Amino acid sequence: MSSLSLFVIIILYLGILFFLAFIAEKRATSKWVNNPYIYTLSLAVYCSAWTYYGSVGVAATTGISFLAIYLGPVIAAPFWILILRKIIRISKQHKISSIADFISLRYGNNRLLGALITIVCVLGTVPYIALQLKAISETFEIMTHSVSIEKTKVFSDYTIYIALLIAVFATFFGTQKTDASEKHKGIVASVAFESIIKLLFFLIVGIYVTFFLFGGTEDIYNQISSSANITEITTMNGFENGFNWFFTILLSFFAIFLLPRQFQVSVVENNREKHLKKAIWLFPLYLLLFNLFVVFIAWGGLITFGNSNNSEYFTLLLPLQHGNYFLASLVFIGGFSAVISMVVVSTLALSTMVSNNLIIPYGFLDKFSRNQNDKNARYIKGIRRVSIFVIIIASYYFYFYFSVPLSLYSIGLVSFVIISQLAPSFFLGLFWNRGSSKGAIFGLIVGFLVTLYTLVIPVSISAFTNSDYFVNQGLFGINFLKPYSLFGLDFLSPHAHATFWSLFFNGITLAVISLSGKGNYRERNYAEMFIDTRNYSKLGDSALVWKGEAYVADIKNVLTKFLGLARTERALSLFFRKYDLPPDTQMADARLINFSEKLLTGSIGSASSKILIANVVKEEEISLVEVLQILDESKEALASNKALNEKTNELTQLTSELQSANQELIFQYKQKDEFLDTVAHELKTPLTSIKASAEILQDDFDEMPAELRNKFMGNIEQEVDRLSRLVNHILDIEKLEHNRAKLILKPTNMLNTIEKVTRNLSQLAKEKNILFEIEDVSSVIALYDEDRIIQVLTNLVSNSIKFSDKPKGKISFSFSQKEDILEVYIEDNSKGIPENDKNHVFDKFYQSENQNTLKPSGSGLGLAISKQIVQKHGGEIWLEKTNNEGSIFVFSLPFN
Amino acid sequence: MLFFGLKQLYLFLMKKRHEQKLIVLAIVLVATFNIPLILLFDSQQSIWGFPAVYFYVFSIWLSSILISYFILKRHYE
Repeated sequence: MSSLSLFVIIILYLGILFFLAFIAEKRATSKWVNNPYIYTLSLAVYCSAWTYYGSVGVAATTGISFLAIYLGPVIAAPFWILILRKIIRISKQHKISSIADFISLRYGNNRLLGALITIVCVLGTVPYIALQLKAISETFEIMTHSVSIEKTKVFSDYTIYIALLIAVFATFFGTQKTDASEKHKGIVASVAFESIIKLLFFLIVGIYVTFFLFGGTEDIYNQISSSANITEITTMNGFENGFNWFFTILLSFFAIFLLPRQFQVSVVENNREKHLKKAIWLFPLYLLLFNLFVVFIAWGGLITFGNSNNSEYFTLLLPLQHGNYFLASLVFIGGFSAVISMVVVSTLALSTMVSNNLIIPYGFLDKFSRNQNDKNARYIKGIRRVSIFVIIIASYYFYFYFSVPLSLYSIGLVSFVIISQLAPSFFLGLFWNRGSSKGAIFGLIVGFLVTLYTLVIPVSISAFTNSDYFVNQGLFGINFLKPYSLFGLDFLSPHAHATFWSLFFNGITLAVISLSGKGNYRERNYAEMFIDTRNYSKLGDSALVWKGEAYVADIKNVLTKFLGLARTERALSLFFRKYDLPPDTQMADARLINFSEKLLTGSIGSASSKILIANVVKEEEISLVEVLQILDESKEALASNKALNEKTNELTQLTSELQSANQELIFQYKQKDEFLDTVAHELKTPLTSIKASAEILQDDFDEMPAELRNKFMGNIEQEVDRLSRLVNHILDIEKLEHNRAKLILKPTNMLNTIEKVTRNLSQLAKEKNILFEIEDVSSVIALYDEDRIIQVLTNLVSNSIKFSDKPKGKISFSFSQKEDILEVYIEDNSKGIPENDKNHVFDKFYQSENQNTLKPSGSGLGLAISKQIVQKHGGEIWLEKTNNEGSIFVFSLPFN
Repeated sequence: MLFFGLKQLYLFLMKKRHEQKLIVLAIVLVATFNIPLILLFDSQQSIWGFPAVYFYVFSIWLSSILISYFILKRHYE
């Protein structure tokens, strides 16, 4: 394959990534970008070219030890539920944007510690990025030249261009905002995509080698079994290697938390805490899949090529050997993906650290406090952009001048040992509240120096000068200073040996120095916040103890320089509202100081923001004891406040319940009153009439003609009937309303019931020339109390008869049966019910105004009783429709 | 109200307990992946083409994935 066409493929692939990242950035809130799978895949940035090519190399030469690099993360994953969740919570709360920020904040915003961590991270990562560039350059050569290549020092122009393109990508999507704690959705989405690509292509080539070039796993194993060093590459190879194995696992365990790129994707880019829960099992699965075919590719390579010194590139060489250029290109793209994602995320993380923890706090603070907001934002972004390019170019030079003689695996391990120097201050800081910044700084320096002496220097010397003098004789020829067997510890591999001694001295120094002096109150304050996350996150901004004199105006002034006026004012007004302070507050308190420091942290780092805020306020020294006391008090206050709040809520609820009960009672009382009023009135009318008739009869009985007398007697009888009906109705409705009426429910045919009603009313209907029509159905069975429903129907039908005014009246019954409800429709062609009566027809004693002319025979309770009866059956009754043409009444009954 | 409080407390403790299951799993992984246990499986035999020690490591690895999957699925979803 010509180098130009391969370069074109690379450019096309980068174009796809640009496009993808651009889309993701645009749709930053879409579900496609924010889900636990994207999160898990972005964690797979762990698998760089080291995994993609290096693992096979190790599997072919030293055997199982490559697996240890993935077992650390597998062990770490279940711990995430405790540790990583805690880290994410703290980081979100404090707007932390890098591991340097995280650790330096824990030790009281210590500027020097943040800077040292940055330096260690840069020194640990630059060789690692160089390793990636080396992989690109070498695979590029393999793809474009012949199968058998010698490692040359020929300068491949393409590598630098590719490196620069990656830098452009990282710059474009990584430095759009000044606040580095903001998410970089574009980069994360592209990393997730690349994680799919690299795994997929690696699996494809694994399956190709195992099942197409060879006859499956057992075939490869049987063929390799006859080779000479079979024991070496298929077993643990002895007890000493067990220790090396343990230390490699330990290194990778630390790396999954501490590598700047891992911190970036797992903490800074974490959208939701709950995504972690999927990652805990899915990420180990990803790693398992990645490692499944490594040994078979390695052995397949060994069988095919013999003991080649190109074993790292068996993945690429095997398909090429068999003329499968397409597959080889896929493998190349997969490896390229692994490289890009690692380089982009690492440089992004490092550039944030370099700007926020090294350059800004040490060089630009004075300048920034004089500048205006937009100028500052330009500077901050500028620093990060330049850092990205400088880091990548530095890595390129490292690769070009130093890394050629070293294998991918050995460079990777050196990087891991350097990064692991952050482990003591990081992990002890999370769980031990007395670790001090002084201890952390000295521990880090000592650990780093030990790493230099036991690993970096001897590796470099033997790689470049080919002299073993230093390794074999030690410093000044002193035996127990031999770098690979310090103090005579001679059975560990160089990296395990360096890991042990560096972490040992690092941890001891941290512990001893931390315990040898009284702690600083500010450090202790942050320590408590980090260790007791649960309680302190509830305290919010009051978690920082601060005493002194500060003006809101001064702080606002500082904030404006970085956030701009609009954002500052919005943030402050939010703050005042949150703590219920008047918006024109003059004096700032501890909460505002803490709040402002957090606001600035994302843009300029925690140490710088502390310094800038400290410049404009006057702080009083407080003693450690006082700080702890205040913190305890506020925690207690919070707890009692919580209990008080609960009590208050309970009381409020009770009060509102009481209130509504009271209102209900008042309402019922009024109703009773009105009812009594109406009843008295209704009773009075017939009584008056009876009394009048009786008086007339008494006075003029003898003189009255018999005819008239009879008429008065009839009148009395009629009124007594009406009276008794009224009393009966009143008793009835009272019974129904107070649940004293028992329903006798039986499955009954509604047709029969209607038949009975129409028979009873047939005389009345005939008088008004009204016809009954019943829908033609075989039977309508429902469960109800027939006597009661007859009452309802009689009420409805007699009303219809009463208001019928057409020459030919009609009353029709129809039914509808829905799921478990029977509806009975009674439709007539009467004159209808006036508009303003519609809503009241079911009220007690409601009688239409325009029937007053002729005092009706009704009691005014008929429909009210009907409503009660239907409701007692669990149904409803309503007026479906009414106009000049007629009305439709409906009642419903549930089947059971 | 009292019932509500008890239920919250119960849920809270449950959560903590299942977190601890994961922690125990991680500690067991530390032990099983390392010496001395791993040396018990360090032999010349092979299963399906995997040397014994590889087979051992991959099986522990896979079971840890399944265990954490079930712990998380049952108690958080």
